[in-house]
Amino acid sequence: MSDSDQTNIIELENVDKFFGGFQALKNISLTVKKGERVVVCGPSGSGKSTLIRCINRLEEHSSGKIVVNGHELTSAVKDIDAVRSEVGMVFQSFNLFPHLTVVKNLMLAPRLVRKSSKSEAHDMAMKYLERVKIPEQADKYPSQLSGGQQQRVAIARALCMNPLVMLFDEPTSALDPEMISEVLDVMVDLAEEGMTMIVVTHEMGFARKVADLVVFMDQGEIVESNPPTTFFEAPASERTKLFLSQILTH
Amino acid sequence: MSFDFALIGDSIPKILMGIGLTFQLLVLSAVLGLALAIVLLLMRISGRWYLAAPTMVYIYIFRGTPILVQIFIIYYGLPQLEFVRDSIFWPILREAFGCAILALTLNTGAYVSEILRGGVLGVDRGLKEAGAALGLSATHRFIYITSPIAIRLALPAYSNDVISLMKSTALASTITLLDMMGIARTIVAETYAPYEIFISVMVIYLIITWIIQRSFGWMEKRMSRHVRSEA
Amino acid sequence: MDALTGWWDDFFWGSLVVVQVFVIALIMTVLFGLIGAAAKLSKSRAAKSIANGYTIVFRGTPEILVLLLFYFGSAVTLTAIAQVFDPEIKFVDLPPFWAGSLAIALIVGSYATETFRGAFLGVDPGQIEAARALGVSNLQTFIFVRIPAMWRLALPPFGNHMLSLIKDTALIAIIGLEETLFVAEQAIGYTAKPFTMYILVGVIYLGFSTIITLSVMVLEKYANRHLEIAR
Repeated sequence: MSDSDQTNIIELENVDKFFGGFQALKNISLTVKKGERVVVCGPSGSGKSTLIRCINRLEEHSSGKIVVNGHELTSAVKDIDAVRSEVGMVFQSFNLFPHLTVVKNLMLAPRLVRKSSKSEAHDMAMKYLERVKIPEQADKYPSQLSGGQQQRVAIARALCMNPLVMLFDEPTSALDPEMISEVLDVMVDLAEEGMTMIVVTHEMGFARKVADLVVFMDQGEIVESNPPTTFFEAPASERTKLFLSQILTH
Repeated sequence: MSFDFALIGDSIPKILMGIGLTFQLLVLSAVLGLALAIVLLLMRISGRWYLAAPTMVYIYIFRGTPILVQIFIIYYGLPQLEFVRDSIFWPILREAFGCAILALTLNTGAYVSEILRGGVLGVDRGLKEAGAALGLSATHRFIYITSPIAIRLALPAYSNDVISLMKSTALASTITLLDMMGIARTIVAETYAPYEIFISVMVIYLIITWIIQRSFGWMEKRMSRHVRSEA
Repeated sequence: MDALTGWWDDFFWGSLVVVQVFVIALIMTVLFGLIGAAAKLSKSRAAKSIANGYTIVFRGTPEILVLLLFYFGSAVTLTAIAQVFDPEIKFVDLPPFWAGSLAIALIVGSYATETFRGAFLGVDPGQIEAARALGVSNLQTFIFVRIPAMWRLALPPFGNHMLSLIKDTALIAIIGLEETLFVAEQAIGYTAKPFTMYILVGVIYLGFSTIITLSVMVLEKYANRHLEIAR
């Protein structure tokens, strides 16, 4: 492996993904360096969720090569759990564990996977809850929190594993409009602290502010990937232009 | 035709002497059945066909045949087989009590494993994915995420099954056991007073059912305290 | 297996009896279930209480107890009535076929009441409103909109009720119905092979359960045919 791999956290090479007869990903190649912030956008069904779900192997890619932090993703189980503990994921529907309090939600993985002690895990959990600005909700159950609060807890939960890269799968799409900014603010802070992240989103304001690279996907292919200024001001492809005109009008 | 209240007063203590046996049958079968159900569940969801297939056949047979027939096969039928008479289990299988427990356990085990499976299937896929994304192993996910939620989901159906099990214990009276039902039938045979006796024992069974339902209702409330309306 | 020679005929007729009981009981079950559901959904407090009492009693009492109570109770009552007219009469009973069918229909009917009630409540009120807005009469709406929608929701749990029904028919042997268990007992008297005979009874019932399960699957497919997503 060449030394450039050390700064490449994620590498996808010619990745295809089939769901039965349907091809969700077509010949995807993408490299994400340490500290980079990548925003992936595109219409529904373009494969953007599938793309990031292949990175932590929630979906298995059909062909091609995916390397995460130097580990190639194959079907060997040991690899997968180890890789996943380095990759944080935030879901559109939060997926907080309903039967655990907020702080227990955060403590579960560090205790089981990193074998942290109860007090270590608790301290870390409180630290990240403060980071996402809701430490007072620690002993509440997820069902008692608003959507925006739940998503921030979800982010804190992922951060407790000290991941090298954070994946966000449409983190604000299920939120009522007034709660979107509280979550985006947290994500912006995270970006400014240097976290490597891949964010699938429709929030173009966020992309403009924070992204190093904006990737446009359509029908399973990467149509265009450019830094935000180029992407928004001088999109190369017609499909990109069409997409931008549709989502930027209102 | 009069209602013989004196007879009722006389018979209830006698019937209640059978309650010990009724509870033994119920509790023992419920506990053993639950253990069996968990084993069957793990085999069923293991993903390995050589574990899942026999389990599915077992469940199919025990849910597809009447429990009375299962009891008769074990109590009347097994002694026909030489290898059963020669086995170490013979002392248990020779006795009506052992046979009843075996039949009830095997039967409830099949039903409960399907109920548990329903609970497991009801756990939101996203929660399992979140666990996976955090790096939790499949075993950890099953123990800490799937199981607590599955148990809560399965509780209503499980409480119904416990009540069914309680009702099935009455069938032990068909193989000579003197549980409440057995005693009741004996008294009726002697006194020709089916209404008084059977209605009395029915009331006792209804009280037991009510107790079981309340207990489970309390358990369900406790387990659901964190699940209010979806946020 | 040679023990069975000569008994195939008898088991066949016994199985036929099972089918007859099942059909009669099924019709009554649907009737009791619908009446019970209607009572529970009605505005009348009296109807609701009676229906609630019905479900509580028949869901919390062992089936064998219901059966024996019905059979012996009705026998005692009928005999007493008959003796008013002719003191020479020793014993009048309701034939086990009818006593048994009625008893198991009442039992499963109490479960069906809940199923139908839930299914009626589950019908999308928007559909009803639309029909009435189009000018369709109350009765026509009920028959052509409500019932089909309700039926689709009720089918899966009702399939389970049918399975309960067929298995409960085995209990009626206890009061002397000459169906498969009865034949088995006779056969055992001659051949001393209880295991073989009872296993055969089990297989017969498994066959019936399988037929019911497959039929329900076909009916469900038919009922949901409009929901098949075109690929």
